[in-house]
Amino acid sequence: MVRVEHKRGRLVFHIKDLKLEWAIEPRYWRNPLLAVGGLALLPIFFSGRPDMLTLITTATVYACIAISMGWQFVGIGRLNFGPQFFVGIGGFTAALLSIHLGWGPLQTLPIVILMGLIFGLMLSPLTTIAKGLYFSVITLILPLVFLEFTYVYTGIFRGESGLSGIAPLVNLGMVKLNYVVSCYLSLVMMLVFLYIVDKILRSRIGLYAAAINDDEDVANTMGLNINKWKIVCYTISSAMIAVTGWFIAHYFSTFAGVTYLPLAFMLKILLMVMVGGRGEIYGSVVGAYFVASLEKGLTALGPIHHVLFPIILLILLFTLPEGLYGLYRRHKYREYFPTIRVRKR
Amino acid sequence: MLLNMQNVTKHFGGVVAVSNLSLSIKQGEIVGLIGPNGAGKTTVMNVISGVYKIDSGKIEFDGMDITNKAPHEICQLGISRTFQIPRPFPDMTTLLNVAVGVLCGKHRPHMSFGDALLDASHCLEFVGLFGKRNTLARDLTLYELRALELARTLATTPKVIMIDEVMAGLNPAESLRAIKLIRRMIDEYHVSVLWIEHVMKVIMEATDRVEVLHHGEKIASGTPSEVANDPKVIQAYLGARYA
Repeated sequence: MVRVEHKRGRLVFHIKDLKLEWAIEPRYWRNPLLAVGGLALLPIFFSGRPDMLTLITTATVYACIAISMGWQFVGIGRLNFGPQFFVGIGGFTAALLSIHLGWGPLQTLPIVILMGLIFGLMLSPLTTIAKGLYFSVITLILPLVFLEFTYVYTGIFRGESGLSGIAPLVNLGMVKLNYVVSCYLSLVMMLVFLYIVDKILRSRIGLYAAAINDDEDVANTMGLNINKWKIVCYTISSAMIAVTGWFIAHYFSTFAGVTYLPLAFMLKILLMVMVGGRGEIYGSVVGAYFVASLEKGLTALGPIHHVLFPIILLILLFTLPEGLYGLYRRHKYREYFPTIRVRKR
Repeated sequence: MLLNMQNVTKHFGGVVAVSNLSLSIKQGEIVGLIGPNGAGKTTVMNVISGVYKIDSGKIEFDGMDITNKAPHEICQLGISRTFQIPRPFPDMTTLLNVAVGVLCGKHRPHMSFGDALLDASHCLEFVGLFGKRNTLARDLTLYELRALELARTLATTPKVIMIDEVMAGLNPAESLRAIKLIRRMIDEYHVSVLWIEHVMKVIMEATDRVEVLHHGEKIASGTPSEVANDPKVIQAYLGARYA
């Protein structure tokens, strides 16, 4: 049934009548290895500064959300304004299981992924029913409804104060070591996300996603089952966002709907995607680190940072139409450059 | 009969766009579909390709009932179309534009992504766009866009190609090239063609049979010269004075 052969520097898988190729190209490994090496040195470099480690960890977790969103924007051809809904799903699932059943992070992870898939599948018909702006409005409202839920059923969700007492991500006895190890774990999670999404976007599924983003009606008349691929994309990327919620809940040992469900959190994620490079997944990482460090740096200036932060980001949005990553990509050959746009139809 | 429409009716609210239309295409035949503006030509194409669901009637393709099937299923069975206004995927290169057709069209076993790109470059070479394979589709000229549309239809391995006004907006030299291209396509790929066109010269020269639509109804059918002398057709186009 499954046949694997090594041919001209690539592994070829034959599964029934499907043929998949997996290119092994060491000439392209320099930049990824440099990036991984640099990221691996970061926590060691800041090992004496818990505040910096927390900053890196949160930025990395935000980058994970932005990476998933980068794929989702392209794959469903619509602007999702409510990624934090799935952060909430993942976080509350992990928190409730951990508090009431005493489960550790490894035990809650499969349930969180399952919940992400279930809710993603439940909401995925929206991607075929609601078009353009309507989809954005519906997804904008969903997390706010969830936030109201946490207030109404405050006995379960503790809407005001948030849930606390969640099993920590790592517990090695030393506080400093815990910080470093969790930072590494977040980096590993981000690299796994990057690898998965990069592989997907370079495969035929990425081409389908690009076709759906450009013109889904034409893609449909060219033989692409758009509903199927939109649902697949939305469901899987939603589950990935739920996993970041799981990480947040276990990392801080508390999870409050007030922190992660309001619009401010969504805006931050959206700005990371846009400032980083409009759907470019590597751009999302750059954007996430940039926005997180900018926020941290501006806090030192006092209360004025509440005004400065959005102004700087707005200027960047207007002056860098292709984002920060676009500065690097501008001189490179590119096969597909997705543009995120809200459709009127 | 390769494609067979029987008594197909399509309403848009109170407007009857296609009424009780029967139309058939044999293997290897080139059928012209003409009619004044608003006659329902493009609606017929949309109905066949599954974009619009019909109200009554039946459409058969290759002995299979394809009435009200989804557009992607119909395309995979072997009916492919171009658009009146070219609609490429603007942010993709021409090669990837065609590769979408290769991967999504008729199911082909053992087609990896790399093989699909190779196949797509064959299609591009056929229409003369191979040199522009790495150009973004939004940077192409009108003629190149039309050629790209034809390459995309070929990429889905069709049995019937529906061509919607390829000549519109092309200058005489370009339209000559386009006609030659379509003739070559028919010869080398053995496809049947349903051809909507406003340029009568092309229809008269290239087609085996012409169907004339007016207000969604078929008013005449036959060889090009028969149709050109039909009083009903002259009346529909030029008015009762000339009939």
